[in-house]
Amino acid sequence: MSNSKDKKKILVVDDSEINRALLSDMLSVDFEIIEAEDGLEAISILHDQEMEISLLLLDIVMPNMDGYEVLAKMNQTGWIKNIPVIIISAETGGTYIDRAYDLGAIDYISRPFDERTVKHRVMSNFMLTVKQREMSEMLSAQIYEKEKDNSLMIEILSHIVEFRNGESGLHVLHVHAFTEMILKELVKKTDKYPLTFKDIRLISNASALHDVGKITIPSEILNKPGRFTDEEFTIMKQHTVAGAKMLGDIPFRGNEALIKIGYEICRWHHERYDGRGYPDGLKGEEIPISAQVVALADVYDALTSKRVYKAAYTHEEAIAMILGGECGAFNPILLDCLKDMADKLKQELNVMSFGVNTANSIHESVTQMLKNEGSDMSNRTVKLIEYERMKFKYLTDISSEIVFEYIAVPEMIQLSEWSAETLGLPPKILDPVGNELWNRRFNKKNFVDFLEKMKKTTPEHSVVSEKYQLSISGNKKWYKVIAKVLWSDSEIPEFEGAIGKIVDINAEMNMIDYLEEQANCDAKTGLLNHAAAKRCISNILAQGGNKKYALVVFDLDNFKGANDVYGHLFGDEVLDAVAQRLKENIRRSDIASRMGGDEFMFFIEYKDSVVPQIQRIFDCITQKYKHFDIGISMGIAYTDGFEGDFDELFKRADAAMYTVKRESKKSFRFYDDSMKDLLEEKKG
Amino acid sequence: MTIQECYAAIGGDYNDVASRLRTDERIAKFLFRILDDGNMKMLCDCLEERNLAEAFRAAHTLKGICMNLSLTKLNTSVVAITEVLRGREEYGDDIAPLLEQVKKDYELTMSGIAALKAETAAE
Repeated sequence: MSNSKDKKKILVVDDSEINRALLSDMLSVDFEIIEAEDGLEAISILHDQEMEISLLLLDIVMPNMDGYEVLAKMNQTGWIKNIPVIIISAETGGTYIDRAYDLGAIDYISRPFDERTVKHRVMSNFMLTVKQREMSEMLSAQIYEKEKDNSLMIEILSHIVEFRNGESGLHVLHVHAFTEMILKELVKKTDKYPLTFKDIRLISNASALHDVGKITIPSEILNKPGRFTDEEFTIMKQHTVAGAKMLGDIPFRGNEALIKIGYEICRWHHERYDGRGYPDGLKGEEIPISAQVVALADVYDALTSKRVYKAAYTHEEAIAMILGGECGAFNPILLDCLKDMADKLKQELNVMSFGVNTANSIHESVTQMLKNEGSDMSNRTVKLIEYERMKFKYLTDISSEIVFEYIAVPEMIQLSEWSAETLGLPPKILDPVGNELWNRRFNKKNFVDFLEKMKKTTPEHSVVSEKYQLSISGNKKWYKVIAKVLWSDSEIPEFEGAIGKIVDINAEMNMIDYLEEQANCDAKTGLLNHAAAKRCISNILAQGGNKKYALVVFDLDNFKGANDVYGHLFGDEVLDAVAQRLKENIRRSDIASRMGGDEFMFFIEYKDSVVPQIQRIFDCITQKYKHFDIGISMGIAYTDGFEGDFDELFKRADAAMYTVKRESKKSFRFYDDSMKDLLEEKKG
Repeated sequence: MTIQECYAAIGGDYNDVASRLRTDERIAKFLFRILDDGNMKMLCDCLEERNLAEAFRAAHTLKGICMNLSLTKLNTSVVAITEVLRGREEYGDDIAPLLEQVKKDYELTMSGIAALKAETAAE
């Protein structure tokens, strides 16, 4: 215990830091102390380290989640079965203690703390739990040993019989496996035979004894190659009764169920459903189900094996013969099982070998038994879980992906170490919907949306993915969130949480954006086309807000002249130059478009006055291009004080441009009410 | 000033605390930590804001600390206010005098502990 690595962990839950420190001081010589300052934190620690925590010291009166709620939660999750809880509180009223006991607390320490009392209570409760765990581990080891011995004895016995019988050792094995498979199928098909897992195991084990009575049959008869005479057959039939008698006469009755079932199987595994079998001529359900199934198994294996008096039939031939009634009548339900299991039988019986089967079935029965008895998790299992967790952690850390786990109750998100560092978040986020930091990264709306999507999945289709723009690294980027939702395997599945990852798909989305932009662009100048620009501007107008914009339209005064004098190629060069000049003089967030021909439009944001910006753009565009004098007429309309859609705004700018053209050219004008008539004219 | 003298000055029970916490070093260590404890401030703030549930919690925690360190005098006045606040929904005139008593005892206790700490540091 002195080695800190081997120290057992104790979780101290108390809202007073001094009290936690005091307990820690008293116990830290013998234990590693983990502290939690309220119930919520305690639950989250338990969630993570359930297997490692040996004992819980729990205060009752605490903020956020009090001690009773912690106990209630531990009952829900089943932690209370594995972790002893000692209540600590200054409360001395009897009802307080009673309520804690009712909720599963095992002991009680009252304030003020007395070092000897604290140490003694903790140590003795701890020892109790450890002993209990050790005992359960010993018990499971013993069950395993006992099962192994049982199977081994039956196998030895059956082999002796088979050896004498000149059969291969596989017969017993095949009958065993066949019996087990058919029985498992049978309980799936009907509840007519109420067989538990334990019953099936017993019958399968006892099936090995079915021919034990053959030990009493003289070997000349047993191994006769030809047909039996009537007399010989009568003797041969006696192996059933003889086997049953051997089991019935067993002096000690250590395993009564096994012997009882063995008796049934020995005596009646040659009975037939129509009453035409031997030795007692039982009919239908008079024959115990154990004997019915073993009879079927025996016949199948006899058919598919080589015997001194016959060659082996194939699997398909054997099935056909049994179903065709050539080996006597069987229970129709069992024949149904046989039909449905035919393929699986062939596969399983083919690959079988002795040792593997024994180990498998024992292992299965031990695990099943432990599960049924509700035994404690053994330390070996704890080690396995720790190992798995270590593997998982390593893999997530090297994957450079944001890996998360969402837990529904208590609601929290856990991030892998690497993810938490990358996001600048704590590895554990309680109540993520209300968590400021988490919302800043993920955006509450996105998170709630994804939560809804997760809850809409089903256990069969539990994977969900969605694309979001998240501010994970400061700037908004596109991410894909993929998660596998975890549903409980109870009858009505419950949403337990999810595991998933967040993948950066910004590059892909940028490519899509780029392609979209391409589709929106004017091929000649690279500016937006009219329709795309209209869409963008309409969006901005629809959003409203306090920002001020100006819509500007212009065309070239003498473009026709440029084309006529210098040719179309030069005309194109001029348009390109105008587009470039325009682009260079506006911001990225502004919108510029060539509407067609020599007509351009742009939409810019401004603060106090737009005039300086317009002047600058105007001056720049109207500089000479290779001796060609570029003149433009420009009309401008404000969004400030304007309420209407894009088309109306456009008409205003257009009217202003028209006014320039009519009056002076190579100038710009702002729309004002004096141009109202022009709007009407245009409408007309 | 010894710890024993300090306890006598602030109305604590040295024999009791010594029997439970075993060593003077440990007693001193935790006594000094009270100087930084925020529960008293929380009690006063919560009462001012009329948040009686939180005030109860703070008083309750303070009570636990007093008991653990056998600060008998302070504990008596803290217990009184804790019980008045337990399950209480409305503020009343009976609370203020109880708080005054707690403040008085708290001040006495803190000054005693602070003096002990100063002397210990000087040595």
